[in-house]
Amino acid sequence: MNTPELVSVSVEVNGACFDATVEARKTLADFLREDLGFTGVNLGCEHGVCGACSVLLDGAVVRSCIMFAGQADGAKIVTIEGLARGGKLHPVQRAFLDHHALQCGFCTPGMVLAAVDLLRRNANPTAGEIREALAGNLCMCTGYVNIVRAVKAAAQILQAERAG
Amino acid sequence: MSGGSGQWKGRALRPREDERFVTGRGLYLANLNLPRSLHAAILRSVHPHARIISVDASEALKLPGVACVLTGEQAKAISRPLRSLIPLPVEVPHYCLAHDKVRYVGEPVAAVAATSRYIAEDALEKIRVEYEPLPAAVDPEKSMAPGAPILYESLGSNVLWHDCFDYGEVDRVFAQAAHVLTERFFIQRYSSTPLETFGCIANYDDARSYLTLWTNDQRPGQAMPIIAHSLGLSAAQIRFITADIGGGFGNKRKPPYLVLTALLSKLSGRPVQFIEDRRENLMALVHACNGVMDVSVAVAEDGTLVGLKVRDIADEGANLLNPTVHSLLKLGNITNCYGIRAVRFDGYSVVTNKCPSGANRGIGKPFMCFALERMMDSVARRLGRDRIELREKNLLPPESMPYTTPTGALIDSGNFPATLKKLLEIADYRSFKEEQKRARAEGRWLGFGLAIAVEPSTSNQSAYILTTKRRAASGAGEAAMVRVESDGSVQVVLGDVGSGQGHQTAAAQIVADELGVPFDEVQVSPYFDSLVSPWMYTTGNYSNKFAGTDVGAIQGAARKVKEKLLDLGAHLLGVPRETLELADGAVRSRSDPQRRKTLAELAHVAYRDLLALPAAMEPGLEGRYYYRPALADLPDDERRVRNQLFVSNAAHAAIVEVDVETGKVSILKYAIVHDCGTVLNPLIVEGLVHGATAHGIGAALYEEFAYDEQGQLLTTTFVDYLKPSAMEIPDFKNDHLESPSPFTPFGMKGVGEGGAIPAPAAIANAVDDALAPLGVRLTHLPLTPERVWKAIQSAQGKT
Repeated sequence: MNTPELVSVSVEVNGACFDATVEARKTLADFLREDLGFTGVNLGCEHGVCGACSVLLDGAVVRSCIMFAGQADGAKIVTIEGLARGGKLHPVQRAFLDHHALQCGFCTPGMVLAAVDLLRRNANPTAGEIREALAGNLCMCTGYVNIVRAVKAAAQILQAERAG
Repeated sequence: MSGGSGQWKGRALRPREDERFVTGRGLYLANLNLPRSLHAAILRSVHPHARIISVDASEALKLPGVACVLTGEQAKAISRPLRSLIPLPVEVPHYCLAHDKVRYVGEPVAAVAATSRYIAEDALEKIRVEYEPLPAAVDPEKSMAPGAPILYESLGSNVLWHDCFDYGEVDRVFAQAAHVLTERFFIQRYSSTPLETFGCIANYDDARSYLTLWTNDQRPGQAMPIIAHSLGLSAAQIRFITADIGGGFGNKRKPPYLVLTALLSKLSGRPVQFIEDRRENLMALVHACNGVMDVSVAVAEDGTLVGLKVRDIADEGANLLNPTVHSLLKLGNITNCYGIRAVRFDGYSVVTNKCPSGANRGIGKPFMCFALERMMDSVARRLGRDRIELREKNLLPPESMPYTTPTGALIDSGNFPATLKKLLEIADYRSFKEEQKRARAEGRWLGFGLAIAVEPSTSNQSAYILTTKRRAASGAGEAAMVRVESDGSVQVVLGDVGSGQGHQTAAAQIVADELGVPFDEVQVSPYFDSLVSPWMYTTGNYSNKFAGTDVGAIQGAARKVKEKLLDLGAHLLGVPRETLELADGAVRSRSDPQRRKTLAELAHVAYRDLLALPAAMEPGLEGRYYYRPALADLPDDERRVRNQLFVSNAAHAAIVEVDVETGKVSILKYAIVHDCGTVLNPLIVEGLVHGATAHGIGAALYEEFAYDEQGQLLTTTFVDYLKPSAMEIPDFKNDHLESPSPFTPFGMKGVGEGGAIPAPAAIANAVDDALAPLGVRLTHLPLTPERVWKAIQSAQGKT
């Protein structure tokens, strides 16, 4: 095998800047986990279906397992580790706790980020809209019922915060 | 036997495990990193069945970054065969890698350890394997027939096990019955596919022959002896550690991978990490057995079920490790909630060229329940009776509890008629009939289906004596440790740390009540560590056994410490022990609560001021308890046994709509009533009921490991193997009954399979009801659009 092709990547993750040189074939997920230490990015399928590895990239939810690190050059990324601010959980995280919207926790980082993304686009989603928005995130434990409840509750918290 | 209510038990406390998960700080295996660690990748068979002519790894070894390659022949040379959990009629030596033949697509053939997973996978492409393809045994019934391709020549047949169990006067009952109905049912291969795949990190220290394993294997007690035997180590030479397990559902056990990774570490002299990718997980971890079941019921003129005959064929794939489990566990729910007294179970365990079968939520019981609850609807139709009234007539009444079934299973508690009644209330069954009429007038096909189920939990190892004729293990059990540390803080270590079921939270609730300390002050370790944690063969996370064994272990350990705290308090306070209690973090006088010694003061004496202890008292405040429930028995002369010890129950109802143009089934409403005895934490119990039901829905409608006729697996990604998403799983309307078990410490019983067992039957019964005017009868799972559409076409005489 030939010497692997290397690419340089500059990203901002959770507010901190990183410059690195990585193999061109390295996935964004592996880069975030192995090189930068963001192990909240969980790998559930590595073929872009389960959504566990979801991160927010320039404000949109992406599956970091089917993107190359090099494709993220110049991007601003938020992982689950970057959601809580100053030790205060994001309302979606709080609602997931209050409604026990998780069991084994492996899907949770992706699920929470997908919910955050939904609530940015739609402040008051119906249950059907929540289900549709989360359809790309598989949870093997909860049957989704408590997740839908949590996202509804989070929407209310966020709306109250905005009103207050 | 009730321990009484406490301050913390019974409360809907938020599971403490959740906090680290919502912030992305789960202690999953893939997040552990050892210095110098290598990454393993496995070369897998592309053939369902083939002779291995040669394996040439020389080119792979030249690749920079590759530390070592292990082939099947090498594995055979440097390890001993994997010991089957269930002794086979003839020993069939098998290893962590295939060496003579491959027997399923995805079977490990060689493994590479390299400095990254990327390089390890590059190296796999350079390994040359020459195969001589052989015809494959794929269909289980054809595989039983003479002339079928044989997987294991030394067995002489693909029938690994066959036995017929007779309870009661089956032939007489059938001969005299007013009605006999016979049907045939099929279940597919599926699995609960925990979102975290299987993984392990092995560090083999050759200098002192000591192996440290970090893994997410959910059953350490069973894995340990297998690994030790294969590697030629003693149990004292292995340290086995688990942390957060990202879902298990029975699937996450794979001793061959632990052995393989340990061998790579031994060869390379470095820690080696192996983590399945999803494709490997779907093709080669475990599948629930697919199967064929012929069921006959004998019914009296008045609608009473009097006899049951089951011929069951379980397709084990290439499983030599733990076959017959899917067969044996059916004896625990074969008569379900009914009073049938004459039962025959004619069981076959057949090997085929498919992924090895293994434990999966419910193990065999979903199929048993499916077949019997489908038969109940058939009987109702045949007799012109209402299906609910027929069930009511046959349900065991609450006054019959505890009830021993013909197979020896003990139903410890339950009120089945009340469960069914409540289900019909919350499912709004009465108004559905009108809705169905209106819908039909509009050309919409709506149906209502229900299924009821017993949910046995806590496996009794003695049951395997029935299939093996050998006493490899008996009883049930778990272990735990509670320690008041030197500063008075409380630490709990579990044999079974769970894999998402909130065991750490539940344990803290129990210990807080036992020791009279606040819930938040009880630390529960998320780790199982064989060096620290008390454990035995039965240790691990399986069989919904938390209520049946783990609670007793936790309570027992806490009570040992409590006794000592009271003894020490009595000594230090100079009062009789009987006058003392444990409350508010102290031992105090019942009559004068100001006379007290805090846990910190007692711990100071127990660990530091040793001369203040009573002369005969051992220092320290630690309780270890190895618990075994008294109900576990051995099979009797009639081959009756309590194969699982505590029996919860559930009733499910589904309202579905079928699109007759496409065959698509949509669930409009889903109602659940569940009874697992005393509820320790309602939040956790409700979550498990939801999740198990979602698994049942997946099995009913979507999930299938499909093999073609040559034995190629067609579903190796989540694109082909369909897991239900939030769009497919409906909101659940659920309610609970509490029928405490008289035989567990607080009356708790197992929870976690109750949804997976009845859901396929409830949904299939609903689809049949929807399509009743067309005369459609579905007997194959899953009810995919294609299958339903074909059934409609066939009923209409179009095919």
